[in-house]
Amino acid sequence: MTLPSLPTLRNALLERRNSDGGWGYSAGRTSRLEPTCWALLALSKGAARPGSLDVLLKWPIDNGWRIDVPGAPVNYAFNALAALTLLTSRDGRTEATQVATRLLDVRGLKFPQGKEMRQDNSLQAWSWIDGTFSWIEPTCLCLLLAKKLRRDLPAAAVADRIDIGERVLLDRACSAGGWNYGGSNVYGQELFPYVPTTALGLIAMQDRASDAIVHRALEWLRKDAASERSAHSMSLAAIALGVHASPLPALIQSLTDHVKTIAPDAGVVGLAASLYALSGSTHGEDAFRL
Amino acid sequence: MAKTRSGSDVSRRQFIATVSLPLLAGACERIRFGGSSASLPRSVVGLFPASTYAVDLSDVIFRGFQDLGVDLRGRRVLLKPNMVEYEPGTSINTNPLVVAGAAVACRRAGAASVTVAEGPGHRRDIEYLLSATGLANHLRELKLPFTDLNHDDVRMVPIGNGFTKLQEIALPATLLASDFVISMPKLKTHHWAGITCSMKNLFGVVPGAVYGWPKNILHIRGIYESILDLTATVRPHFAIVDAITAMEGDGPIMGKPRPLGFIAMGADPVAVDATCARIIGLDPAKIGYLHTADGLLGNANNARIDHRGEAISRYATQFDLIPEMRFMRPA
Repeated sequence: MTLPSLPTLRNALLERRNSDGGWGYSAGRTSRLEPTCWALLALSKGAARPGSLDVLLKWPIDNGWRIDVPGAPVNYAFNALAALTLLTSRDGRTEATQVATRLLDVRGLKFPQGKEMRQDNSLQAWSWIDGTFSWIEPTCLCLLLAKKLRRDLPAAAVADRIDIGERVLLDRACSAGGWNYGGSNVYGQELFPYVPTTALGLIAMQDRASDAIVHRALEWLRKDAASERSAHSMSLAAIALGVHASPLPALIQSLTDHVKTIAPDAGVVGLAASLYALSGSTHGEDAFRL
Repeated sequence: MAKTRSGSDVSRRQFIATVSLPLLAGACERIRFGGSSASLPRSVVGLFPASTYAVDLSDVIFRGFQDLGVDLRGRRVLLKPNMVEYEPGTSINTNPLVVAGAAVACRRAGAASVTVAEGPGHRRDIEYLLSATGLANHLRELKLPFTDLNHDDVRMVPIGNGFTKLQEIALPATLLASDFVISMPKLKTHHWAGITCSMKNLFGVVPGAVYGWPKNILHIRGIYESILDLTATVRPHFAIVDAITAMEGDGPIMGKPRPLGFIAMGADPVAVDATCARIIGLDPAKIGYLHTADGLLGNANNARIDHRGEAISRYATQFDLIPEMRFMRPA
C-alpha cells in the first residue's frame, strides 16, 4: 500500500486556516463551526503533540451554544461535534459536558403516525435545529456525545436520551442495511442507504455491534464503502470501520489514492476527515471511539 | 438554554407539508386566479424541441434566449440546476448536458461570468454527487466554476413574502452576488407539492450547513409557503426546464423517467411552472402555490401567457400520479 503524503494534507489544511484561527468550508470562506472542528481533530491526530483548542474555547457563544452563523438557528449537530472535539483535550472537558447537558433537553418534533412513512413518528431524538424533525446525522453526533459522557451527565436523563437515540436509529435503518439521512421508506418505497450516514450510524452504535440491524449496516458498509468516491464519504467509512475493528485495506488505499491530488477548491471537511482517517494514533481521547 | 419544542404536537397537515388550497387561498383573499394578475405584465414561455440529450442543447437554449429577448450581456449569471441525490438509471437531477448547454449559451449571449451552483437537499457530499452525476466532467471541460450552496458563506436576508412566518433566512453569498439567477429544474411530479419545477427548485439555495439535510424547516413551515417565500426572496430572473426526460409517479426521487422531448424557458417562473403543469396533466389552479402565486409573483393563468416555440398541445400528456395528488388533475 502506498502511504499518503500526510504532511501534504496537513499543509493543505494549514493553508486554509483563517487569521481568526478557524476554518471555513473551503479556502477563503468565513470560519464555521463544523470545518473548524474537523480541522482541529485532524491536525491533532497523529501530530507530535496535541493541538490547541483555543479557537473553539473562544468561539462566540450565545445562551450556551456555539454560534455558527449569527442570526441563524442554533445547529445542534455541530454543537455536538464541537463538544466531541473539546472532549479530546482535558482543557475542554468541562465545556463539552456543559454542551452535552444542554443537548439532553433538545428533542426533534414528534408527528402523528401516517401511512406515508413506515417509521415511528413518536420518537424524538435530535434535530439539526430547533422546531424540526429528528434526523440521522444530528442524532448520531448527539448520541455519541451522550454515550461518551454518560457518567458525567444526570443518570436518568442520559439513559433516556441514549435509549431514544438508539431506538430512532434502529427504527430508521434501511432494509438494505445502513441509513439514509432520514427515514427508510416513503409511500411504500424503500429508500437508499448512504455511505456517510451509515458510517455515522455505525460510529454512534459501536457499542451495539451485536444488534442485527447494526451488523447488517456494517455488512452493507463493508460492501459499499468505496462506492461513493469522495474524501468525505470514504474517510467517514474508514473511521466507522476502524471503531468496529473491521478495517478495509482496499478502502484505505482508495482514499489514499483519492487525496493524492488536492484540488484548490477541495473542501476542508473532506480534507480534514481524510487526514483524520489516515493518521495513526491520537492524543487524549479519540473523538469517535467509545 | 435554547427553547426546544419537546412534546409539541405537529399536525399531520404540517408533517406531510401539503398546505390545503382553501387555507392558502383564504390567507390571500385578494388574490384570485386570473384576477388581480392584470396588474402584472403578460408573461412569455417558450417550449423548444430537444428530442434527446444528444442534440446541441447550447444551440437550443441560445435560440431560446433570442426568441425570448433575453439580454445577458455583462451579467454575472448563476445557473441553479436541481441535483438532489444520485441513483443510476433514475431521472432525479437536471441532466448535466442541459447545464453545460446553458452555460455555453450564456457565454455566447455575452454573460460576463457563468457559475453553476447547487445545494443538494438530501446529500451533503457534493464531491460525490458532482462525480456520480457526471457534472464534474462538464465543469472541468468548460472551466466552469461551481459553488456548493450548502457550504457557502451566508448572509441573513429578510424574507420576501411572509407566508412561512420566517422573518429572515440565510442565503449563500454566491447567490446574492450574482445578478442573473437562472433556475434549471428537472420537470418532475412531487409526492407532496404536486409538481417540482423552477420555483420548488429554489429549495436548493437554502444552505444545508445552516438548516440541515433535508432542509426540514421548509417542510415544517409548509412546502407551499416556502416555495412562495423563496421565489419572492430570490426572485429568479429566468428558468430553463429540463423536460427532455422528466419524472412521473412518486417524484421527486422514486418516480419513473418519462421522455417529453423539450426544454421550457421563460422569465416568469410562475408562468413556466404553470405551463409545465398543464403539459403533464395538472391544473395549476389546484396546485396551492401556483394558485397563490398567480398575480402575486407571476402569471399562472394561461390567458396571460404568450407562447413561443411549440404549442402546449404538442407535448400535452397525462403523467402518472400517486393517488394523493390526483385531485390536481383538471376536472
